[in-house]
Amino acid sequence: MDYREVLKNKKRIVVKIGTSSLSYPNGRMNFHSIEKLAYVLSAVRRRGVQVILVTSGAIGIGAGRLGITRRPQELAKKQALAAVGQAELMKIYQKFFDGYNQTVAQVLLTKDVVTIPVLNRNAGRTLHKLLDMDIIPIINENDTIATYEIVFGDNDTLSAIVASLVEADLLVMLSDIDGLYSADPRTEATAEIIHSVLEITPELEQLASGAGSSFSTGGMVTKISAAKICLRSRIDCIIASGTDPAIIFDLLAGKEIGTHFVASQKKAVRHV
Amino acid sequence: MGKETIVVRVEISTLLGQHGKISPGKMDRLAKVITNLHNSGKHVLVVTSGAIILGAEKLKLQNLPDTLVEMQATAAVGQAELIRWYQRSFDEYSQIVAQVLLTSDIIGYPQRVKNTRNTFNTLLNMSIIPIINENDPVSSSDIEYDDNYPLALMVAKIAQANFIVIKMETNGKYMIVPGGSFKAVVVDGETELQEKLESICNVMIPRDTAVELQFPSSIGEIVF
Repeated sequence: MDYREVLKNKKRIVVKIGTSSLSYPNGRMNFHSIEKLAYVLSAVRRRGVQVILVTSGAIGIGAGRLGITRRPQELAKKQALAAVGQAELMKIYQKFFDGYNQTVAQVLLTKDVVTIPVLNRNAGRTLHKLLDMDIIPIINENDTIATYEIVFGDNDTLSAIVASLVEADLLVMLSDIDGLYSADPRTEATAEIIHSVLEITPELEQLASGAGSSFSTGGMVTKISAAKICLRSRIDCIIASGTDPAIIFDLLAGKEIGTHFVASQKKAVRHV
Repeated sequence: MGKETIVVRVEISTLLGQHGKISPGKMDRLAKVITNLHNSGKHVLVVTSGAIILGAEKLKLQNLPDTLVEMQATAAVGQAELIRWYQRSFDEYSQIVAQVLLTSDIIGYPQRVKNTRNTFNTLLNMSIIPIINENDPVSSSDIEYDDNYPLALMVAKIAQANFIVIKMETNGKYMIVPGGSFKAVVVDGETELQEKLESICNVMIPRDTAVELQFPSSIGEIVF
């Protein structure tokens, strides 16, 4: 069965982009990638697909702005860099999206949008309204007051929560992890990408948490847990490489790239 | 003793020129005055409004939005524009700024107050000026109805500020009123302001000296 067929008809997608896809290994911004992302998302939006971008990268960009070369360890320092870098990051996104005549908005969320109903309602309503206005909301964690992303991962969980909140039908997580492998690709020559996952079994989680598969900063574990949130809400979820953002065109064309966590075709239930 | 910490509340209306658009000249003067305040050895935090007005301009809306959700969506667009203006203007004076968005409910969560205070302190110690606004897209409490007065007070509390600048004029006139005890200083020998304060509080105010003032009503009502 071709599980990818359903991806051709997605109407509301959340794209999560990791720091590694926005910057060079030396920490400096990769304007080429960011501009390409702006182009791809604007083009997708123009086809009538609603798009939400969940972005990382504020801390790294803040460090770059301040000429700090080593990523700070201290939490308050990270928060301060994020406050500087988030403003820079939005400036760059605005500039590039402006180039494609696409309006963007900044929405900073704390993870407690899930647990505090009034915040949940406000955030959800604002996001729906922005989508209705053909605007692409650009979401990041509000690092100044919350500590979740900084401590736990690379916005993977936040992107799944957002997907649930806006009742998206697809979450695409782009990073330097191009998919879930059957074994550690660095050591096992036979390792290959698992293209379709129908159910997240304990064995699969074991595979993801094994030393071999944590070959990135964000890590596979947080991606699997994000995929779980999506599947519970009947949202398809894909892990793919963020090296070239044009991969989104291919994914929406149903090409078998990356790992697809296949949502049940049953009626959607929201879990937030 | 540490540096004096000052919270400056900026009303977007003081930054607008003709046709209700941001005036680059006024923005430039604000950046100059605030950077200068910072350079004189004080810790400065800016609380600004303006996300909705700038969002409406970006979206080419004929009128300002009037429903809550429209205001929130417009603010999400406009905040990004607003912070871009601050960045650009302060860049001219080699001053780095940071964006901090707060919801008023954090005051009820000690951990968040602590996180926010730590962030403020770290930014200030790194010589960065925090530009603070209400996180409108997710909160529904202030949404700029009240021109960020409560937010400025909250920031002053969190930052343990010595003074709040209640109203900043881009011509450099300003008035400072402390957060807790009602002390005020008239700077630059502003005669007009001095007379105004003297008449409001019914006392004589020596120049450049902090004096105890009893403001008759909420500080939000003081204008000059």
